[in-house]
Amino acid sequence: MHDSHPTPCLVDLEQIIACPGCDLLLENIEPAPGEKLCCPRCGEILKNPKKDSIDRTLALSLTGLLLFPFAVFEPILTLNAMGMHNSGNIFQCVISTWKSGYMFVALMVALSSVIFPLVKLLLLTGVSLHLKLGRGSRHLPLMMRLYIHLDEWGMLEVYMIGLLVTIIKIGHMAKIHYDVGFFCFVGLLIMALGSSIMMDEEEFWERIEDVAD
Amino acid sequence: MSQIDISNCETAREADLGLCHDCHKLMPMEGRHEVDCPRCGARIHLRKPGSISRTWALVLTALILSFPANFLPIMEVNFLGTPDASTIMDGIIYFFKEGSYGIGAIILTASILVPCFKIIGLILILLSIQFHWKSWLRHKTILFRIIEFIGRWSMLDIFVIALLQVLVNFGYITSISAAPASTYFTGVVLSTMFAAITFDSRLLWDA
Repeated sequence: MHDSHPTPCLVDLEQIIACPGCDLLLENIEPAPGEKLCCPRCGEILKNPKKDSIDRTLALSLTGLLLFPFAVFEPILTLNAMGMHNSGNIFQCVISTWKSGYMFVALMVALSSVIFPLVKLLLLTGVSLHLKLGRGSRHLPLMMRLYIHLDEWGMLEVYMIGLLVTIIKIGHMAKIHYDVGFFCFVGLLIMALGSSIMMDEEEFWERIEDVAD
Repeated sequence: MSQIDISNCETAREADLGLCHDCHKLMPMEGRHEVDCPRCGARIHLRKPGSISRTWALVLTALILSFPANFLPIMEVNFLGTPDASTIMDGIIYFFKEGSYGIGAIILTASILVPCFKIIGLILILLSIQFHWKSWLRHKTILFRIIEFIGRWSMLDIFVIALLQVLVNFGYITSISAAPASTYFTGVVLSTMFAAITFDSRLLWDA
């Protein structure tokens, strides 16, 4: 559509889309599930439809919610050194950072590793459940927008790599025992990643528009 | 449904169409400065308002904060009552000396290379808009997309300190706690992430 058009060129709004990366006007094409639509000028991914997006998002985010309390409040690791042992969970990481006087750091850790991942899962479960049942709610657009804005602030995968670095760091000075929280956390991470990969923004917005009528 | 004339229009701006930041719906602006998205309720602007100056402000904040973040100690190890404070670089050198090159490289990338890359990259992109450098547009857009993607990974070191603080806590014998640089370092991560959010990559193509 960026070639020169014979004047005048009239189109419906539904027939065109614009690239969020470079503002190029393009013809609105629906790719098949598994195919990507990319901007020819800047390479931005415009559409990436998923098969059974709503069902899969609902299943994964709901499972994530079930694992969440165990991942956060069950001990993740126990260290054995010099006849003493010590264990901790993810919630304690926030508390002890707060108690050591670094409130701002503690707040960021709490938001990115506990609160935002939980809110993201709640929002995804809520939105996909509404869409699955075909039930409209005037809060759906707001919930969806909140999810999009929180997306990059939930940092479970960064936390996972941090956990691995920690394990290697202390591996030589103490014996490490993996507790139930560790496995729940890995499960939670897989569910959270899976649900955000399966969520097809385009389809969700279209369905939200449909159920609102 | 009324039709829109897009003759000789390459971009949405030329056709006077605004793209919703949140749900990517196209809306005719009809000469207005801002409209509300009928689908999601977000405010639609042709470009993110005040993008260049906000991004500059946040990048410079990150640049200033990165000095105390790197030169002050970020972690303190107490062993038998003797405190030993270490900066980010001390931690990395420790791993390389120990022979754990993999871990050393991960922390070096997440804590030093990524923040430097983000700050230098954003400054280059901002300068290129202000001085109308029209070349390498596609590459600069990809550079911005990489900056956007890697932003959160710098939090790695902060998470490691939070975990060590809880797990390595054997009272008087040995314990680990955060040190002043952790606040500044979190500030660097936060301001670079906000800088990427306030920046509008379409400005590169407008110039």
